Amino acid sequence: MKDLTVRVYRFDPSEDEVSHYQTYQVQVNEGARVLHVLHAIHDEHDPTLSYRYCCGSGQCGSCAVRVNGEPVLACMEEARDGMTIEPLDLPVQKDLVIDMEPYLAAISSLVPKEDFTMPTPEVVEAIKPLRSCIECLACVSACPALKVISFAGPTAMREDLRLALDPRDSEDRVTEAVKSGLFTCTSCQACWKVCPKDIQIPGKAIEKLRALANKKGLTLPRHQEVSKLVKETGRSVTRTEPTFLEQVGEVLEPYGPVKATVGFFVGCMYNQRLPQTALDAMEVLRRNGIRVIIPKEQVCCGSPLIRTGQIDFLDTLKKRNIDAFVFRNIDTVLTMCAGCGSTLKNDYKTPFRVMDINEVLTRYGIEPPARLPLKATYHDPCHLMRGQGIRDLPRELITQVVDLVEMPAICCGSGGGVRSGIPEEAAALAEKRREEIEKTGADIVVSSCPFCEFHIMEHTDRPVKNITTLLLEGYREKDRKKAEKAG
Amino acid sequence: MRSAEFLDCHVLVIGSGGAGVRAAIEASGYGETILVSKTIAGKGGCTTMAEGGYNAVLREQDSCEVHFEDTMKGGAYLNDPALVRLLVDEAPERMGDLLRWGAVFDVTDCCEVAQRPFGGQRFPRTCYAGDRTGHEMMLTLMDRLAATGTEVLQEVTIVHLFKDENTVAGALGIDRNGELLAIRADSTVLATGGGTRIYDISTNSSSGTGDGYALGFRAGAELVDMEQVQFHPTGAVYPYDARGRLVTEAVRGEGGILKNALNERFMIKYDPERMELSTRDVVARSIATEIMEGRGTPHGGVYLDVTHLPRSQIESRLPVMLEQFLKFGVDIRDDPMEVAPTAHHIMGGLRISTEGQTTVPGLYACGEVAGGVHGANRLGGNALADTQVFGKRAGESAGKAKKRVKRIHREEIEAQEKRLSVFYGGEVLPTTVARSLQIAMWEGAGIFRTAKDLEKTEGVINHLSSLSLKATGKSNPAECCIVQNMLTTASLVVRGALLRKESRGAHVRRDVTQAWDAQGSPYGHTCQSLQGSNIKTGVKV
Repeated sequence: MKDLTVRVYRFDPSEDEVSHYQTYQVQVNEGARVLHVLHAIHDEHDPTLSYRYCCGSGQCGSCAVRVNGEPVLACMEEARDGMTIEPLDLPVQKDLVIDMEPYLAAISSLVPKEDFTMPTPEVVEAIKPLRSCIECLACVSACPALKVISFAGPTAMREDLRLALDPRDSEDRVTEAVKSGLFTCTSCQACWKVCPKDIQIPGKAIEKLRALANKKGLTLPRHQEVSKLVKETGRSVTRTEPTFLEQVGEVLEPYGPVKATVGFFVGCMYNQRLPQTALDAMEVLRRNGIRVIIPKEQVCCGSPLIRTGQIDFLDTLKKRNIDAFVFRNIDTVLTMCAGCGSTLKNDYKTPFRVMDINEVLTRYGIEPPARLPLKATYHDPCHLMRGQGIRDLPRELITQVVDLVEMPAICCGSGGGVRSGIPEEAAALAEKRREEIEKTGADIVVSSCPFCEFHIMEHTDRPVKNITTLLLEGYREKDRKKAEKAG
Repeated sequence: MRSAEFLDCHVLVIGSGGAGVRAAIEASGYGETILVSKTIAGKGGCTTMAEGGYNAVLREQDSCEVHFEDTMKGGAYLNDPALVRLLVDEAPERMGDLLRWGAVFDVTDCCEVAQRPFGGQRFPRTCYAGDRTGHEMMLTLMDRLAATGTEVLQEVTIVHLFKDENTVAGALGIDRNGELLAIRADSTVLATGGGTRIYDISTNSSSGTGDGYALGFRAGAELVDMEQVQFHPTGAVYPYDARGRLVTEAVRGEGGILKNALNERFMIKYDPERMELSTRDVVARSIATEIMEGRGTPHGGVYLDVTHLPRSQIESRLPVMLEQFLKFGVDIRDDPMEVAPTAHHIMGGLRISTEGQTTVPGLYACGEVAGGVHGANRLGGNALADTQVFGKRAGESAGKAKKRVKRIHREEIEAQEKRLSVFYGGEVLPTTVARSLQIAMWEGAGIFRTAKDLEKTEGVINHLSSLSLKATGKSNPAECCIVQNMLTTASLVVRGALLRKESRGAHVRRDVTQAWDAQGSPYGHTCQSLQGSNIKTGVKV
């Protein structure tokens, strides 16, 4: 047996005006799950505590709660000392019990065709991963889009794809999905990361449905414009000034000894819209012994097309990019755009290794910068944190320059084609970011993705800086102090 | 407590597992149907947790006659043959319904439903959707239910069946806020599932508390063979709080082997012909014997090993097992599982006709709460088929029943209101009573039984039944009623076990020596009702 102290959200709408947290000390067995802590509270301390559970083995989806903010199944998650247990972020009926019905009702049902067709093994294999959903609503709780716009939600989209693939269903699920919010998903992947069944809803359901919508001519006009631009120019955004690729040579030698050589994949945003940020990054790399090769024939990675379901031109882009680096015998390709990095790592099969700039800088080590007298907060780019699993490395770099104040990691709204397709949703999500930034009291916002940086810039009065620009400012301050001393 | 709200319907279905939802789908074709679920409908019950499969004769090389014989033999010939006949004959048609409604079963390269071997069967006839077959069925059934006009009452616990003269006239429920609902119905279908939560170690979900046995018994229905409790051979043994969690028979169906701590494949001693795929009663006893005789693993189980199977087979056919064990730190692709028997299924239950009628007019039963289909031991894969075959039958005959003037007597409601209000002045928490009951049942009415242990257990049940259960919050009176149902179910199991002075199927009496095998047994069903209890004798199989 072991003793645990836990905080539990309590709210009885028939008696309480506001919710409160109650702390309990309970004794549970070794290996106990969160559910067993709730049982212990109910049985030993307070029989009025309400919570749902049924199967106790991760199969029915009744018991999802948030533990320290993260949705989990209470019956499967190991209980830890000091944890806070709250209901899912959905309307609360009492304590940890939320109103599931509207969200379960939003999931479509199969309407059988008159003539029965048995699905083929290939169809069954495609549908099976989508069917393992236990409708626990963890994804609905975690979805940022649902907080600002009406949308059937991630798991409803999952089932829509299943129905669209199933030869027995008689309805037009693709049109239905478009109507119930297919294009509101920012592909932030929060739903996938909290799914107890590991269902990759953005990549394996929403993007697939968007591709089917594309075949039906239902792609949003703004997304079609992006696709046209890529086909015509090789870039997903127009240029506003001389591009990065126009401003640099093909090889950038470091100032000191060479620690590593990498190929650089710049991406459309840093090339066309934020070239100075990419130039800052090159400066930081050169200062830290990284030799950079920059193939000029590289083009858009294709991410804006994949996210919006316009995949007919994709193979051309992939081949062109892969060839550009293979031709130069490059074994490591560096990305600094979180979206490009995630796409190259997850949607490409590359004969070379792909590393984000945060990985490269921390792997080879950096020259210590001077500290700047600033308080910063960090915005986790979805395609870096969830798409590439990189959460701690940026923090290691930032804290070498400034003090860091954390804020919750939530999508800024710029991804998945939402910024161009549904700008009011993107703005509403960015407004939520602004509020969180405000709460931290930070002087500056740091991030590591051009889409996030560009989008958040429009919605906060604080300066928004790329992590490498911040490092460069640290180096400049260091140089200035050194010169001052020498002078 | 405010006075009850009244609802009317033609058919009231109590229970939202595979049988209840199937019954409601069928009944809704005949008139207004209400389905009451103690949980969120579709999430409670054991169907959604059922992993392995659904038995149905689908191939020319197989036959319903062989399925019939396998089921009778597996059930130690205590089954009601007419019910078994329907089970095997109609299981394929009910599978057809599921497929039409969109169930995603695994298929072969020829687009036929894939089948795997299960214990006690001479043909691989267990259809499956990976190891989440029941979940797939529930998703499909809930889809279909939504397309009918059935009204679903979520999270309402039925605490009493109303009687008008001799006929059941509906039921009284308590919702999540403690409000009473009196539902008048021409026909009432019990589809409340099983009750092995009365044991300390059980595979059942939280709803497996035997409510239907207790409700039916109190309404005057006859129950048969309540002593016949199936202990599934393979339940998890650690961590402590996960003990009893089902490890599907599909693990053995896919080729998993059992070994003791000495690394011996011990089934060769107990059933050299069928080995791991012997019937559940035999495998459970073999494992229990190995453990009792000191050849168990450190956690008190035996090893169940699939590490010799291709990793891809484990990943595609047993994904839930893989995921669950990984959560508890064991990768079954590399290391064996540790397993031991766990209370799983009650073969006994309300006596039903082939139309799903109980012995009380107006009351129907289907699924695990009904008795007679599986005899003294259920074959793996027959329960899911049972839910569909008898769910449909009960729903249909309940729907076809005549509409009548339904009366609920005021005194009956008042008596129930009094019963519930007494809990607020009670002394003992229901969970305390449930814990004591579970331990007593595991110790005294488990796999191996004697009259002495059973009588001692009966004494414990009687004592626990005499305590006054205590409610503090609005949701607690329902919990008190549920614990009363557990006590009633437990006493039915123990009384049945005392009546049956023979070893038969899952029921083993160590204190009885007998000169007959199952087919030569002089005994038939044990029968229990408010009128009394007995065991049928002089029955020829």
